[in-house]
Amino acid sequence: MNVPFQHALALAAALFAIGLTGVLMRRNIVFVLMSVEIMLNAAGLAFVAAGARWGQPDGQVMFLFILTMAAAEVSVGLALVLQFYHRFKTLATDAAGKMRG
Amino acid sequence: MTFRDLLPLLPLMLPALTAVAILLLLAFHRSHRLTAWLAAGGLAAALLLIPFACEGAPRRFGALLVVDGCALFYTGIIMAAALAVAAFSYGYLARRRGHVEEFYVLLLLATTGGAVLTASSHFATFFLGLEVLTVALYTLIAYERGAFGIEAGVKYLVLAAVSTAALLFGVALIYAELGTMEFSKIASLLDAGAPVSLLMPAGVALILVGVGFKLALTPFHLWAPDVYQGAPAPTAAFLSTVSKGAVFAAAMRYLVPLDLPSHRSLWLAVAALAVVSMLAGNLLALRQGNIRRVLAYSSIAHMGYLAAMLLTGSPLATAAAMFYLLAYFVTSLGAWGVIAALSEKEGDAERIEDYRGLAGRHPWLAGALTLMLLSLAGMPLTAGFISKFFLLTAGVEGRLWAPMAALLLGSAIGIFYYVRIIAMLFAPQEDAPPVRATHWAAGAAIGALVLLLIALGVYPAPVLAIIQSLIAASS
Amino acid sequence: MATLWPLAVYLGATLAIVAGIVTLSYLLGERHEGKARGEPYESGILQTTSARLRVSAKFYLVAMFFVIFDVETAFVLAWAVSFRATGWAGYAAAMIFIGILLVALVYLWRAGALDWGTSPNRKRSCNETGKQNGST
Repeated sequence: MNVPFQHALALAAALFAIGLTGVLMRRNIVFVLMSVEIMLNAAGLAFVAAGARWGQPDGQVMFLFILTMAAAEVSVGLALVLQFYHRFKTLATDAAGKMRG
Repeated sequence: MTFRDLLPLLPLMLPALTAVAILLLLAFHRSHRLTAWLAAGGLAAALLLIPFACEGAPRRFGALLVVDGCALFYTGIIMAAALAVAAFSYGYLARRRGHVEEFYVLLLLATTGGAVLTASSHFATFFLGLEVLTVALYTLIAYERGAFGIEAGVKYLVLAAVSTAALLFGVALIYAELGTMEFSKIASLLDAGAPVSLLMPAGVALILVGVGFKLALTPFHLWAPDVYQGAPAPTAAFLSTVSKGAVFAAAMRYLVPLDLPSHRSLWLAVAALAVVSMLAGNLLALRQGNIRRVLAYSSIAHMGYLAAMLLTGSPLATAAAMFYLLAYFVTSLGAWGVIAALSEKEGDAERIEDYRGLAGRHPWLAGALTLMLLSLAGMPLTAGFISKFFLLTAGVEGRLWAPMAALLLGSAIGIFYYVRIIAMLFAPQEDAPPVRATHWAAGAAIGALVLLLIALGVYPAPVLAIIQSLIAASS
Repeated sequence: MATLWPLAVYLGATLAIVAGIVTLSYLLGERHEGKARGEPYESGILQTTSARLRVSAKFYLVAMFFVIFDVETAFVLAWAVSFRATGWAGYAAAMIFIGILLVALVYLWRAGALDWGTSPNRKRSCNETGKQNGST
């Protein structure tokens, strides 16, 4: 079965919107990071769909890059979250609001 | 592929190689001094190679990279800035506990990312360079692991990741529309009048969000003050110069072939970003009591001035932007260098109050900071004045009346807060706390930056000639 | 749309069977109130603590290494697929890639990140980092 380009793009856009909503609404850092992951993967899906539209492998190559970068980002993110928990004893993003000018 | 073919690429590769070598060294032997020397050596070697690399330029490496005069110029100032940051870091980190050596590895990696960005001619390399830069920065920002550092790191991580996702989605939309991710092909397809649907403006808007975030243009600037406040001072120096300069160079490479004035809505969007950044950056800086936050807002305004140069795309504007970026690098690095030299521990040398009477305690640092602030304000005889003058010339030639009016207004507002800090430096103060000596490396770097600042301000002709010849050779 | 109706039938059948089983067991099943009725394991050992126990941060470390080194295999596999097409240039590039990975692995190993047991070495470095964290 061949998925039409528009459908794949609509799915990617929906995922992107879900991720963005999650980033804006969630108060727990781990969930914020997960939402960011969703956004990145939505972009990856859009690349794969675009690559399929033109019959090029470039879209999938970009997806590999995004995958790698997301992995690097999530590891740094988790390390930071551990330090964050260590420091603030909570995972709520509201705890980090000391620097208001 | 022979050595001659590889030569233009060497300045980009050397920092990465040095980072790997240091990582291997750290596995067996930890020494702050040796690590710092190696890092500085790698950066200096890359810097020295640039004139030789220029002989082989311009050279394309597939569709992905193009090493031309402009790319080498930006790479050169990035390497020099990273060298200065390494010099600030040595004294700064020597006062810290725990492992400090990895800071240099991350610094080198971030520098590599920035250099790749300047030479990117394809969205794949653009993305890779940006991410190598950004992911290394996450850790550099949170390096001290204090409450502020962690907070700044988490904020930057989340917002940078969101902006990257937006940027990527935008690129995907453009790719879906045009079937290519090469900057030059995109421009030629658009010039040829390729039919575009709604995807194209949406994609460009998302890319603008991503780039606007990295340059901290208003309204995507919200992270900047907090991150500048929480990050270690050398990281903040790096963030305000290398990170922004590299992204600006890439934006220039992407937008100039696009011939922005012929795309009305895009032109308006960039113009709005530039004007709002100039005004908001300067106005918000007025209210800050923390020097780091003042510098953050000031850098937002400066990026606004620079973004105005994207609007014409004329060779004059490109030259003005390159010169402005150089002057901005020198002044911003100098100001952050002084802050780094004065920071004893986290949260030190932050409030403007802390600087009361610095001229009496530490005349050299106070003098350097005064000069840097005067240059940021655009006072005559400093690099800041000449560079702003060139920006105005290019802007008037390109008939950018509104952005240039905003530039003048913003600069006028800016004088207030810069002068407020300078007045604080020279205010009298009793019972001054004891002063500690600045490390020689940081002192030398600040001294070199001061000399460069005055040289650029008094006699800019040689540098301008170099820039113009580079642009002529590239186009 | 014509291809979708078997799926709809399948979905309907699944729902019907599940609903049927639940209804039947509700109608036919025995009911009695016992003391241990509310326990998760009626005839097993009693639970001692909540299942939400604190997991050592080291597990996150293992998970991170897995994620990072797992993604690298994607590149190596992509190279393996195009091995003949990319030739010696691809070979050189892949070797550089793997070499850098090896350097990173050596660094992690020497930094003690791979000692998951409680070897004396690891304990010492644990204490050290603990001290650092406590004092910063």
